[in-house]
Amino acid sequence: MAHHVEPAEQVDLAPLREVLASQFRPRDSQEAYELIVGACQEAQRLYGWVPPEAAQAIADHLGVTINRIYGLLTFYADFRTEPPGKHFLWLCHGAACYVMGSSRLIEVLRERYGLEDHGVSPDRELTLHVFNGCLGVCDLAPVIQVDHHTYWGRLTPDRLTAAIDALKRGDPVEETDGPAG
Amino acid sequence: MARLADRQDFERYAAAVHQRWERLWAGDRWVISVGISGCSIGKGALETYRHLELMLAQEGVPATLRQVGCAGWCFAEPFVEVRAPGAPPVVYGNITTDRVPELVHALKRGEVKAELALGVRAEESFGGIQPLSQHPFLARQRRLLFADAGVVDPESIDDYIARGGYRAFLKALFEMTPEEVVAEVKASNLRGRGGAGFPAGIKWESGRRTQAWPKYVVVNSHEGEPNVFKDRRLLETNPHLVLEGLLIGCYALETPHGYNYIGGEHALAVQRFQEAVRQAYELGLLGDNILGTKFSCHVRVRTGGGAYICGEGSALMYAIMGQRGQPRTKPPRSVEEGLWKRPTVLNNTETFASVPGIVRHGGAWYASLGTEQSTGTKLVTIQGPVKRVGVAEIEMGMTLRELIFEVFGGMREGYRFKGVQTGGVSAGPLREDQLDVPIDFDSMTPLGGMLGSGGFVVFDESVCAVDFARYLTAFNRFESCSKCNPCRLGNPALVEILDRIRNGYGRPQDLDIIREGSKHIIELSLCGLGQVAPMPLLGMMKAFPEEFDAHIREKRCPANVCPISEATLLAAAGDD
Ligand SMILES: Cc1cc2nc3c(=O)[nH]c(=O)nc-3n(C[C@H](O)[C@H](O)[C@H](O)COP(=O)(O)O)c2cc1C
Ligand code: SF4
Ligand code: FES
Repeated sequence: MAHHVEPAEQVDLAPLREVLASQFRPRDSQEAYELIVGACQEAQRLYGWVPPEAAQAIADHLGVTINRIYGLLTFYADFRTEPPGKHFLWLCHGAACYVMGSSRLIEVLRERYGLEDHGVSPDRELTLHVFNGCLGVCDLAPVIQVDHHTYWGRLTPDRLTAAIDALKRGDPVEETDGPAG
Repeated sequence: MARLADRQDFERYAAAVHQRWERLWAGDRWVISVGISGCSIGKGALETYRHLELMLAQEGVPATLRQVGCAGWCFAEPFVEVRAPGAPPVVYGNITTDRVPELVHALKRGEVKAELALGVRAEESFGGIQPLSQHPFLARQRRLLFADAGVVDPESIDDYIARGGYRAFLKALFEMTPEEVVAEVKASNLRGRGGAGFPAGIKWESGRRTQAWPKYVVVNSHEGEPNVFKDRRLLETNPHLVLEGLLIGCYALETPHGYNYIGGEHALAVQRFQEAVRQAYELGLLGDNILGTKFSCHVRVRTGGGAYICGEGSALMYAIMGQRGQPRTKPPRSVEEGLWKRPTVLNNTETFASVPGIVRHGGAWYASLGTEQSTGTKLVTIQGPVKRVGVAEIEMGMTLRELIFEVFGGMREGYRFKGVQTGGVSAGPLREDQLDVPIDFDSMTPLGGMLGSGGFVVFDESVCAVDFARYLTAFNRFESCSKCNPCRLGNPALVEILDRIRNGYGRPQDLDIIREGSKHIIELSLCGLGQVAPMPLLGMMKAFPEEFDAHIREKRCPANVCPISEATLLAAAGDD
């Protein structure tokens, strides 16, 4: 994988420090280890990824080594150690979505938008994360969760490209859960 | 809210919330409930809720608007339940925002909208609407864990208590010894709902026998399989039921340390379980010296980061300990050396949720449900092009045909049934002529299938068996933790061969190579992932041999899915 890292923008660590101080207060080293993943998840919620500065802040706060943190960040599929694009596409590739055609959606994203799994499109507008589990909304399969809150369901390649083009233009996306059936 | 000091205090509190619950349903205000769950949010339930709130205010309808959990009917979300004063509650399905105005206007006129109704919560029909219990989705279900799904507000401990919640825990705490609790669970013959079906009572007994402290009790709510979504629905819809089961587990093991490990993707499940824990602390059902007894219990929630392997017991414990979630060799078993090298009892979410009922009504009662070897009820989900996608709770022993074609309504218009993948990524599919097999832990295995966690994937003729096998094998390859070589190297090799076949370069001997290689992966892998990873592929080969043949010998993909189809088309075009 090509490592194309943007010149790091200044990461404001204050909000992370605040969360760590209020919610991540281990009583002993055992609990400190138990809290690492949760702390990294908080960082990702705040920044969209886990910047190195944030990883270091977590290590310092919990009293664990930075190696331990990166050992986990690189083990779990959910974590991003590089900044994402403007919009985040969480594409469900669970069994229902597979049966209803998610493979074709992945193909369209690759061919038309240059998006690989865990990748950012060349124009930095889109990030794709292919989820191997089930997003739990199988009635909408195949489905993509967009920017952490909206769902585009019962997608076909055509409806997907129309929706993405609208998203990039900043227009509302019509009929996001497709025809009922 | 003050902590409840003792049993009498709890009784007083329970009586008060029960009375409030009764008054709500007998009052002269409308009671309108909207199901808010992970799946209904995906279908716009929050918008429906807000729209209703606005319209009810605008139209001056005196109503109490409440949130409830979902009831497993994904196909009918968002749903709205309306209880008009003096009338039984009517449940309406598919109430998207555009339908809110007509619904509210009809209500105001004192009408029911029969064409939108799923059913009425009553014994008898009402206004031309049939009882909900006769709805084809529910008629054949037996709901214990989901009995109050869609009825209680999952974020209200009062609702749970008003419906009889925490009674089982109190019974255990005040009337039973830990040994007696374990004996009931053993008598129920409750088998683990996470896939392997190991008897929970026996596991608890081993956990008690090990003499090392502290001990831990852990709920496995990881649910990272691609084919199932029942545990998170349970947590979203009735989190206190799981928490009560965990409390009883901790009491049985005489330990104050309980954990729930929840997949980080299941955001609403995490949030609602955490809220349930917070409420239980506030009321004094968690904490030190619960209800004035010597029993203390503390529950911690830990979340996963999207690695399927962390659902495996030993990997899960490493994950909680802040290490990479990779399984280890056994023995020692977790009941001897688990979390922090201490005795640990791990059970699935659904297993724990079954415990309160067992404690309340007795192990013998539970054992009378279901079949002899697979007692009780099972949560099952169906994915794929069936009419009624959702979560159902059935008594063990129902046939797969009844489940697919009666409960879940059979295939959607325009889709023809081809097969049903069982056991997720750990077993093979069943064909049409094999559907009369009962749903239990043992009957499907001789056919190459498996109950697993209860997620079934129905697929139609647009799905290619070779491509589906590749999908399932690739899942296992991707999710392999790479600790041991048979799994780390064997699964990519299988995918590679499948890709060759899909691209039209398959050779007749490839199938033998697959069988031989699979044998090594199955026999030599360290953990449950590798040991079953080739099963879906072998199952597909067994169920649809003609399709593998068509790819290899005729260089053709009958379903027109594989890259081979394009190659054939191009070649045909070139001939002209
Ligand atoms: C790769 C793998 C993934 C698993 N994932 C889960 C899971 O997500 N949830 C679960 O309850 N059990 C899962 N299991 C089974 C657990 O190892 C364990 O058997 C189970 O949690 C025990 O609980 P039970 O006896 O109540 O089923 C998995 C097993 C393997 C090998
Ligand atoms: S079988 Fe696979 S998942 Fe299990 S330990 Fe070995 S490499 Fe890891
Ligand atoms: S498989 Fe995609 S939502 Fe369930």
